[in-house]
Amino acid sequence: MNFNRYLQFVVKYNTVFIFLIMLVVSAIVSDVFFTSSNLFNLIRQVTPVGIISMGMLLVILSGGIDLSVGSVVAMSGVLCALFTQTMPLPLAITAALVSGILVGSLSGYLVSIHKMAPFIATLALMSIVRGIGFISSKGAPILVSENASALTDFGSGNTLGIPNPALILFLVFAITSVLLKYNVFGRIVIAIGSNEEAVRLSGIKVSTYKFSVYAITGSLSAIAGIITTARTAVGSPVMGVGMELDVIATVVIGGASLSGGKGSAINTLLGVLILGMIGNIMNLMIIPSYLQQIIKGLIIIAAVLLQRFQAKNN
Amino acid sequence: MENRVELRNISKSFRGIVALKNVTLRIKPGEIHALMGENGAGKSTLMKILSGAYTKDAGQIFIDGKEIFIRNTHDSKKLGIGIIYQEFSLVPELSVAENVLLNQLSVTGIWMKWGQMKKKAEEILHSIGFSIDPSVKAGSLSVAEQQIVEIAKALSEQVKVLILDEPSAVLGPQEIQKLFDTLKKLKKEGVAIIYISHHLSEIFQIADRITVLKDGSSSESFMISETDRNSIIKLMLGRSLDAMFPVYESRIGEEVLRAVDIVPENQSKSVSLALNAGEIVGIAGLVGSGRSEIVRAIFAADRRKKGQIFLSGKELHLRSPQRAVIEGIGMVPEDRKQHGVILSLSVKHNISLTNYNGISNQFGFINLKKERNNSTGLIQRLLIKTENENQEVGKLSGGNQQKVALAKWLNRSCKVLFIDEPTRGVDVGAKVEIYNLINELSHKGVAILVVSSETSELMGICDRILVMRKGQIQGELSKKEFSEEVILRLSIGENENKTASVNC
Repeated sequence: MNFNRYLQFVVKYNTVFIFLIMLVVSAIVSDVFFTSSNLFNLIRQVTPVGIISMGMLLVILSGGIDLSVGSVVAMSGVLCALFTQTMPLPLAITAALVSGILVGSLSGYLVSIHKMAPFIATLALMSIVRGIGFISSKGAPILVSENASALTDFGSGNTLGIPNPALILFLVFAITSVLLKYNVFGRIVIAIGSNEEAVRLSGIKVSTYKFSVYAITGSLSAIAGIITTARTAVGSPVMGVGMELDVIATVVIGGASLSGGKGSAINTLLGVLILGMIGNIMNLMIIPSYLQQIIKGLIIIAAVLLQRFQAKNN
Repeated sequence: MENRVELRNISKSFRGIVALKNVTLRIKPGEIHALMGENGAGKSTLMKILSGAYTKDAGQIFIDGKEIFIRNTHDSKKLGIGIIYQEFSLVPELSVAENVLLNQLSVTGIWMKWGQMKKKAEEILHSIGFSIDPSVKAGSLSVAEQQIVEIAKALSEQVKVLILDEPSAVLGPQEIQKLFDTLKKLKKEGVAIIYISHHLSEIFQIADRITVLKDGSSSESFMISETDRNSIIKLMLGRSLDAMFPVYESRIGEEVLRAVDIVPENQSKSVSLALNAGEIVGIAGLVGSGRSEIVRAIFAADRRKKGQIFLSGKELHLRSPQRAVIEGIGMVPEDRKQHGVILSLSVKHNISLTNYNGISNQFGFINLKKERNNSTGLIQRLLIKTENENQEVGKLSGGNQQKVALAKWLNRSCKVLFIDEPTRGVDVGAKVEIYNLINELSHKGVAILVVSSETSELMGICDRILVMRKGQIQGELSKKEFSEEVILRLSIGENENKTASVNC
C-alpha cells in the first residue's frame, strides 16, 4: 500500500525526480560537475534553448508546433551582427528582434488565418529563414562590429554573479509562469489546446491567440539568436541547426502533451536543465558526441514513457 | 416459414443508461421488414448489435434457426449480414471501385487488378440501376451518389440479411424508386431486408411487415396489410407525461431576436423565426431535419448562405460566435463533451471561459478571488455536484457536465440563449433541475430557443413549438395546440387527412 503511494507521488512529480536523479548521478560520476565554473558553463549552454522553450511551450499548449525556431536563431544572430556594422547598437538589436517577430507572425498568420497545419507552415519557414540567414551572411560567419562592444560585454558578463543571458532566461521563465497562471492569455491558450471548438463556441476569438503564440516564439527565438551572437561576438548562419528538436524535447521532457492543453513553465524549465545536464555530464565524462546523441534519445523515450505511466495511473 | 433472422430478448445499456431491454425482432427470408420508432427508440442500436458494431449485454441471435455469436463486424459479415449505415462509411480518398469492393480487396491477392475491379464495381452499380464512374474518388460524389455507392458496397458480397438505416434521407424520388426496385429484386432472391425509416409513405409502399420499437423496450409487429398509418403513429407515441415539468406562468415581452430567411451552409431551404423576451420556443423534428443547423447558423458557429438577423430591431452582421456572444447571444451546443465543455479543465476554468472580462483587469490579470467566488456561486445556484470548483469537468456525471455548460452562459447576462438538446444523456433528477433553470432564466426576460429530440420535453417547457422537416419549418404550434401526435405527423410529413403517398 505504502509503496504504491510513494510510487504515485514519484510518478506525479516525475520531472522533478528525473531532475534530482540527474543531479545525484552527475555529482557521483564527475567531481567537477558541482564546481561553479562548470555550473555557469551549463547555464550559459542551456540559455538559448531555455528562452525559446518558453515560447515553444505556449505553442505546444495551444496544440501546435514550431519548427522554425533554430533558423530564426541563425537569421537574427546574423542580422544582429551585420547591423552592428552599419547601425547604432540599439537599432541593430531592435531590427534583429523585429525580424524574428515577423517570421513568428508569418507562421501565426498561416496557422490561424489559413488553418495550415503548424508542422507544415513552420517546416516551410524553417527552410526559408535558414536560406535568408545564409544569403544575408553570404554563408560566412559575421563578426560583431568593435563599436558594439556593449553587446559582447553584456553577452559574456555577469550581474550579481549570474551570467547575463541566464538572467534573461529567468525573466522569460517568470513572465511565462505568471502568464499561464494568472493571466487570461495563458488560460485561453491552454483551453484552445484542450478543445479549440469549445473555446470558439464560448465566444473567444481563437485566431488572435494562435497567432500570438507563434509571434511570441519568433521574438524569443530572435532574443536567443541575439544573445548567442553577443556571447560569441559572431553571427553564424549555421547556428541553431537542429535546435528545434532540442527545444521540443525539453518541453516534452517537462511533461507537456504534444496534443496540447497540458504543460507548465516550471516543468519545462526543469526539462531544459535535464537536457542540459545530460549533455554537460557526458562532455565531462568525454563520451563521444555520436554516442551522446543516442543516449539523449533514449532518455527522452524514458521520460515520456514515465509520463504515459502517469496518465494511465490517473 | 422459418425465420431468417431472430433477435430474441436483446438488452443493451451504455454506462447504466438502458438503450434496449428485452427486444425481440423476427424476419423471414424474402421479407422487407420495416423498423420504426421515435428518435432514441433504439432502432440503430439494435441494428448495430446485429452488424457487430456493438455487442449485446443479453439475449440471443439466431440465423436460419441456429444460434450465432457476433463479436465484431467481421463475424457478421461472414454470416452474410450487410448493413448500410445512416452515417456513411466510405473512404473519400479512394475510388468508387475501391470503395465498393473494399471488403474484398485483400482477397484478390497483394496486387490491385484495376481493370477487373472497375468492371466488377460497374456491374454491381448497374445491377441496382445506376451508372457511376467507378474510377472517380468517392469524396467527389454527391451525397445521394455516395449513398448509392454505400448500397453497392453492401451488395458486393452475397448477403442473406440486408439492413438499411434511413437510406432514403438523402435520395431523390427517382433514386428512391430505383432503390425500391433493387430491394424487390433482392427480396425475390430470398434476402431478409430490414428497412429503418421515418417515412410512413415509404413503409407502406415497400414493406411486408412492420415492427414498432418504443423506448428501447416494447416492440410490436404487424403485417403491413393489417394495419394503417394512424395506428402506427399512435403506437410510436404513448409515453406518459409525468409531473416532470414545473408549472409556471410565462411573462412574454417584446420581440428580441428575429431571424429572416436563414439558409445554413450545406442546406438549401430557408427558415425564419422570431423570439420574444421571456419566451421559451422549441424546435422539434427528426434527427437530420436541420434543427441544430439553423441554431448554429444564427449563432454564426457555421456559415450562412444568406439571411438577416435582428436583435431588438437592430440588424446584426454576425460572422463569428465571438460577435454573437458580445451581442448577448449564447449557445449550449448539442454535443456536450465535444463542444459544450472542456473535459480536461476544471469547473472553474470552464465557467470563466465566457466572461474573462468580468474577472480580469485591462492587462488580462485575473482576480483569482473574484473568479473563485463567481464559480462557487454558480455551482451552488445550479446545484452542480462537484468536489469543489477545481474538479475536472470530465470527472462529473453527464447531468452535472450539462449544468456546467449552462453555467457558462449564466456567467454573463445573455438576452438570447440557444439550448441544443438540454437534457440528452441526463438523469431524471438533473433534468428537472435543468428545466427549472430554463424557466428561471425566461422569467428574467431571456429569450430561449430549445432544440430537442424529446417531444415530451418540448411540450413540457415551451410556450411555442416549431416543427422542422427537411430543413424547413413545417408547422408552428402554440401551447394549447401541443400534441405529440401532431408534432410527430409534422416531423414525418404525414397529414392526418392525407392517405395518398406523396414523396417530396
